[in-house]
Amino acid sequence: MRTVEPGMEAMLETFIHETETMLAQLDEILLESEREKSLSNDHINDIFRITHTIKGSAAMMEFDGISTLSHAVEDVFYVLRSAPEKLLLVFNTLFDLMLATSDALGVELEKIQEEDEYVDSKNPELIGRLGKLADQLKNSKDAGKNVSDLEIVEKSAGTMPEMIEGLTYVRVFFDDNCQMEHMRAFMLMTQLQHHCDYLESIPANPESDSECCEQLIKDGFLIIFQPNISVEDVLKRIEDALNIKSYELLEAEIYVAPTHEKAAINLETEKTTDVAAATGSVTGKTPTKSGAVKQSLISVNQRKLDQLMDLVGELVTAESMVVRNPDLKDLRLDNFTKSIRELRKLTSELQDIVMSIRMVPLSGTFLKMERIVRDMNKKLGKQARLVTEGGETEVDKTINDAIVDPFMHMIRNAMDHAIESPEERLALGKPEMGTIVLSAHNIGGEILINLSDDGKGLNPDGILAKAKQKGLLTKPESEYSEREIFSLILLAGFSTNTEVTEYSGRGVGLDVVCKNIEMVGGTISIASEQGKGTTFTIKIPLTLAIVDGMNLSVGGTEFTLPITAITQLFKISDASQIIQGVDGAEMIMIRGECFPIIRLHEFFQIETEVRNILDGIIIQIENSDGGACIFADNLLGEYQVVVKPLPNFFNNQVLKEQGISGCSILGDGSISLILDTNSLLKHT
Amino acid sequence: MDSYNGLNSEIMESLQGRYLLFNVEDRLYGVSLELVLEIIQVQTISKLPNVADYVKGLTNLRGKVIPVVDVRLKMNLPEKAYDDKTCIVVLDIRGTHIGLVVDSVADVTTIDTSKLSSLPLSGNTHQQILSSIIEMGDRVVINIDFERFFQDDISSLRGN
Repeated sequence: MRTVEPGMEAMLETFIHETETMLAQLDEILLESEREKSLSNDHINDIFRITHTIKGSAAMMEFDGISTLSHAVEDVFYVLRSAPEKLLLVFNTLFDLMLATSDALGVELEKIQEEDEYVDSKNPELIGRLGKLADQLKNSKDAGKNVSDLEIVEKSAGTMPEMIEGLTYVRVFFDDNCQMEHMRAFMLMTQLQHHCDYLESIPANPESDSECCEQLIKDGFLIIFQPNISVEDVLKRIEDALNIKSYELLEAEIYVAPTHEKAAINLETEKTTDVAAATGSVTGKTPTKSGAVKQSLISVNQRKLDQLMDLVGELVTAESMVVRNPDLKDLRLDNFTKSIRELRKLTSELQDIVMSIRMVPLSGTFLKMERIVRDMNKKLGKQARLVTEGGETEVDKTINDAIVDPFMHMIRNAMDHAIESPEERLALGKPEMGTIVLSAHNIGGEILINLSDDGKGLNPDGILAKAKQKGLLTKPESEYSEREIFSLILLAGFSTNTEVTEYSGRGVGLDVVCKNIEMVGGTISIASEQGKGTTFTIKIPLTLAIVDGMNLSVGGTEFTLPITAITQLFKISDASQIIQGVDGAEMIMIRGECFPIIRLHEFFQIETEVRNILDGIIIQIENSDGGACIFADNLLGEYQVVVKPLPNFFNNQVLKEQGISGCSILGDGSISLILDTNSLLKHT
Repeated sequence: MDSYNGLNSEIMESLQGRYLLFNVEDRLYGVSLELVLEIIQVQTISKLPNVADYVKGLTNLRGKVIPVVDVRLKMNLPEKAYDDKTCIVVLDIRGTHIGLVVDSVADVTTIDTSKLSSLPLSGNTHQQILSSIIEMGDRVVINIDFERFFQDDISSLRGN
């Protein structure tokens, strides 16, 4: 992160977080509006407010690049707000330009976070285009629409406007020589905005214009507001603010000024922040969707959440240490048991809450995908729409972050390779508009995400031939089932598209997608019908932190196997069920299917007395690629375990490939090793 | 972990020149107290498959999982059954916590670093991990360079 003065770091963090949130909102509004082919007045106001706030806070942080760019956008929307009918003139240009701007702002934010020496880009081209757009809008103005111009003139002149009934007018003077009067005025506005239903200032937007300092010193800073607390309280706040020399309460003459009619009416109908934005004052409130309940939110550093999660994990462990304490064995403790039950209820509730704090809805990720589909439609001349379902499904933040890239890649693939051009589609008797469906469902402990398109579908023969050519086949062609053939495209070194395009086929194939998904403990499978389309099914765990597991013992070592991977557990009663392969590999028939047996003690070279397959226990596990049976000594029961990474003393990557993904501390203080089903199955 | 890193420089200074002495195979070895986090009794060690034989496994140090290394096996000495004198010395080697199984802990003492003499260089890798030697009355203490000691295990220590 950029080196900033001490004390500014927290502000910088807040700035980045807030701006990111607002840019996401901006994208959402733009995409939604473009789809509906209209931009409502509410949305125009929202966009105006978002860019205005970004401009203000960027100016405060001295990020001139961001501030100038958002100022250019603000100019455009300033005109649009007073004359929404002109929108039609510039509709398409506006959206392309706005999305490009939002991207540019995003890039700046990333640079601030990643580069040590942040140098802002000026984006002169974008600003120029935005400026041209604003001029175009302004010039097409007819005579009757000059009200907004009047307003601007009037405000910048700094004259006393006619007063409106119900509003309080206060003129504030700052301390002599306190410097940066315009920023102080801005800070004052920010402080007051939470206490006012309506807030306006003269000059408007003091933070954006350092030239107004002299005017502020001479004429003072005029604040016009309607408080949601008592006027006296607001005055008290002004009094308490920094660097205030004096203030005077101006008596209101009671009549409504014609130029303020619009504002006054708005004030009566809805006392929302729209008015504040409409008259050019600050607002830090996050714009909420219409009809949404106002939530009180607080942003927390993720590190603190991780610590909290760790602590709760410790607490759960400590609790079972108390409950299963060997000293208590064989004692009859009725009251103790009762208290313990109470404690357990509380800890599990606490655990649920902490988990839920880390959960974020997938809608943010889905939105990014919509954006990609839109851009690629334009670039590739294709027609496709993205239908999303289940965006409200929540996953752990870490997982959410990890799946953005893979999904982006898959959507690009679908757009680039799967969806045909409109002409081809019509010739094939398909609807001209292609459809990509992205849906998410919560299926108890796991999230199921389906990504399906109605494009070309996969060609099994083509894939097989290609895999053969690349030398990826491990058995005769005829033995491959359709599912296995589709899985081939997930292998490293397989890429069906020979030419490199801008969006996909940059040498990174689906194998990277597959690896990323597996990294967060997910699985991926493919179904496809040629000519009809392809469906990718991705299963990811809800969270990585706590796992429901079945504990097994092998010799002196304890293992935890995630319950989601287990199909069934059983004991073999008859040795004739075991089929010996030629190379000594053991297999077992279960309901007509043949599964290899992995003897854990052999696999991990652990000494144990249980070597006879009839004495131990068999656990059938499965992932999308196939299944296997694990042979262990004994079953210890079902536990909820807190996953801990192995100490960095070990090469975690090697251990993971060997089938151990982490460890966890059990109730008695001993440690169990968590098995990684995917790597275990790869060894079969 | 934080509490250790948070030790103020005053305390760290007071640890300078102070060494923990321990016995392995009737020989006295020293390690600077700056590296030592604590000394614990041998407790349950969970075996980890497919690792070097001197890695005895993992142990739970108040909620933190740390690896346990047997000094004897690491030094190619014969294994010895753990008894009530056997201790685990928990070290912090550049942020990595490692438990070290030693025969017994002898003493904490101040060593006059000016009296340390270096060991004769030899091709024996075993000796490269020994950084210096000192005679204290009738005792001879050999200091171990633990960063070298764990060079093969902790990838971040390599290349220095």
